Amino acid sequence: MTTIDDFITLVRDELGLEVTPADADRSLDEVAGWDSVHLLALAGALERATGRGLVLPDLLEARSLAGIYQVAVAT
Amino acid sequence: MRMNTAGTGADGSDPDRLMGAEQISAWLRAGRLAARYPEVPGLLADLDATALARAGRLLARLDPDEVARHHPGIPSVTVAITGHGTLAPLVPALTAELARHGLLLRPFSGDFDGYVFDLSDPGSALYAVDPDIALCVLDPAVVFDEVAVPWRPEDVERVLAGKLRLIEWLAERFAAVARGTLVLNTLPLPSLLTSQLTDHRSRARLGAAWREAGAALLRLSAAQESLVTLDLDALVAEGVPATDSRMDLYARMHLSAGLLGRYAREIGHLARDLTGRTKKCLVVDLDGTLWGGVLGDDGREGIEVGESHRGEAFRAFQRTVKQIGSQGVLLAAVSKNDPEPVREVLREHPGMVLREDDFVRVVANWRPKHDNLAELADDLNIGVDSLVFADDSAFERGLVRRELPGVAVVALDGEPALHAERLLADGWFDSRDLTADDRARAARYREELARRDFLDTFDSLEGYLAELDVRVRLEPVTEAQVPRVSQLTLRTNQFNLTTRRLQPADVRALAADPDASVLAIHSADRFGDNGLVGAVFLRRDGAVLHIDNFLLSCRVFSRGIEQACLTAVLRHGAATGAKAVLAPYRPTARNGKVRDFYPRHGFSRVGGGSGDAEETGGTEAAEFRHDLRSIAAPPAHLRLIDGLGGETQ
Repeated sequence: MTTIDDFITLVRDELGLEVTPADADRSLDEVAGWDSVHLLALAGALERATGRGLVLPDLLEARSLAGIYQVAVAT
Repeated sequence: MRMNTAGTGADGSDPDRLMGAEQISAWLRAGRLAARYPEVPGLLADLDATALARAGRLLARLDPDEVARHHPGIPSVTVAITGHGTLAPLVPALTAELARHGLLLRPFSGDFDGYVFDLSDPGSALYAVDPDIALCVLDPAVVFDEVAVPWRPEDVERVLAGKLRLIEWLAERFAAVARGTLVLNTLPLPSLLTSQLTDHRSRARLGAAWREAGAALLRLSAAQESLVTLDLDALVAEGVPATDSRMDLYARMHLSAGLLGRYAREIGHLARDLTGRTKKCLVVDLDGTLWGGVLGDDGREGIEVGESHRGEAFRAFQRTVKQIGSQGVLLAAVSKNDPEPVREVLREHPGMVLREDDFVRVVANWRPKHDNLAELADDLNIGVDSLVFADDSAFERGLVRRELPGVAVVALDGEPALHAERLLADGWFDSRDLTADDRARAARYREELARRDFLDTFDSLEGYLAELDVRVRLEPVTEAQVPRVSQLTLRTNQFNLTTRRLQPADVRALAADPDASVLAIHSADRFGDNGLVGAVFLRRDGAVLHIDNFLLSCRVFSRGIEQACLTAVLRHGAATGAKAVLAPYRPTARNGKVRDFYPRHGFSRVGGGSGDAEETGGTEAAEFRHDLRSIAAPPAHLRLIDGLGGETQ
């Protein structure tokens, strides 16, 4: 996973949400079908995709898909 | 369903060639997933835990109502989830596990840490959904959230005792309020907790108190029949992490996602049992499955069973199969071999654990296995979807999967040491209770095969039946028979006029209802006692006697038993002043053979649906009426012992 587009694809594949890059900066509350439980599922999927551990508190505080992506790619 | 194509892309360009979660994702995007739902079990059959979790998240996007609209015949199971911690992964995991068994999940999730309220208040939202299964998921934090630092083992003991009393009370509330099954679980004890005590004596005391609490939870299920306690220690012992510290602390998810997924698998097995889908017969291959090598090539002395490393592994698998067979599961073997060498091995090979007598049938020939399996199911009078087929050959498995999609296929390979865990991984034969009838089942089926041989010596069915000396007893159910009657309602699919599944408590309630009666059918013949083989559910409403359900084990069809019992019921109605008997038939995919049961015995159609599951795809009941003016005599070849209390004319 190297770009935000890859990340959006991962969200679609893992969660079955019909998101597009246009949703990246939206508040998670405004993303159609988003549920807070998705964040926990994404945490596991992102760690598998990136091969490294995430800083979970940062992830849980992310407010948009772009914010989640930033946490996932931060070193 | 095409499952065996490898290396296809996930781009959705050729959605008919995808596998597993990729296919589900493609159908979801194309808006076709609900329509393709019946094909989902095949896609999920072999997925590992990660892929299954993903498939579950995709499937959970579906609206169960939409699936039910497309496929009204798919049984749905309402599962209510409550507990202490975050249980987010459970809904998708359960969605996938139920879908694997051809079921549709209707989930309800209680509020976070809401189990005490959900289970104690009869007006709670949990009770409002009338769950078939309620999961009260317990975790170590149930206890440790109330243990203040610093703590000693005695502090934990005190909290454990209080929680046990609370949980026991909640379980009693549930039994009093709800009709479904409540599932509790033992609490795993992570070393993260025990290691905080630095001396071994204290650790031992904590461990003992913790396990005593677990044992108490397990024992609760002996006292309450609508309660199941899952032993999470056994699941954790498979190597599933019990907890995930980050999720525990940051998301208050006190059991790991892996353990919740494994837990969901157990619930899938329970749901399968509660919906009458427990498998009835285990069919094993021989070469490479029960012994190593190829009998036809290696000869009787050359096969591996006993007395070598691999030979011991095959023996261990045979012991597992025998153990399964001792609990009401019919065992059969289907092998591409000549029959005579197979018979010799089963009779004489010193290394064998399983012998001819352990099987209800051994089929050794060169026909395609799916033909043999279909014939076997037919001979045993069970559906092919009651079969589990274990084989080490991918070719044979693939063919059976393609030709008989209803058969559960267990994939074995060249490592016999793993055979047993692969067979057991899916709890194909799990049931909530085992009855005495279950233990005698294999012997009864063998008697049935003897009956067939006996039948072959007669020119006519009448001559055969006259010699068979059938005795039928119809009488009100006793307390001891309640579990067996409940089980018949759960397991009987073919001769089951309304397929209304009843838990033991439901049967007991009907038996105690002054307007209702539950009659047990017992039969015997010259070959032995068939046991409790059927049940009739009656309800009196003024001058009308209703037959709410009539069911009979498939072992004893077509011997006049059903006619005799129906006659006894009609006579009972007439003797007690009823003016008519009303009886519904509710069609399912499996009970088409009894569609004409009532009209063939003097009932006339009075209304309701078409009574045809295939035509309507629905489950609308047809209603039949008997005016009691002319009641046919019971068949002359059998003796009816009518235990309806001296009211028979």
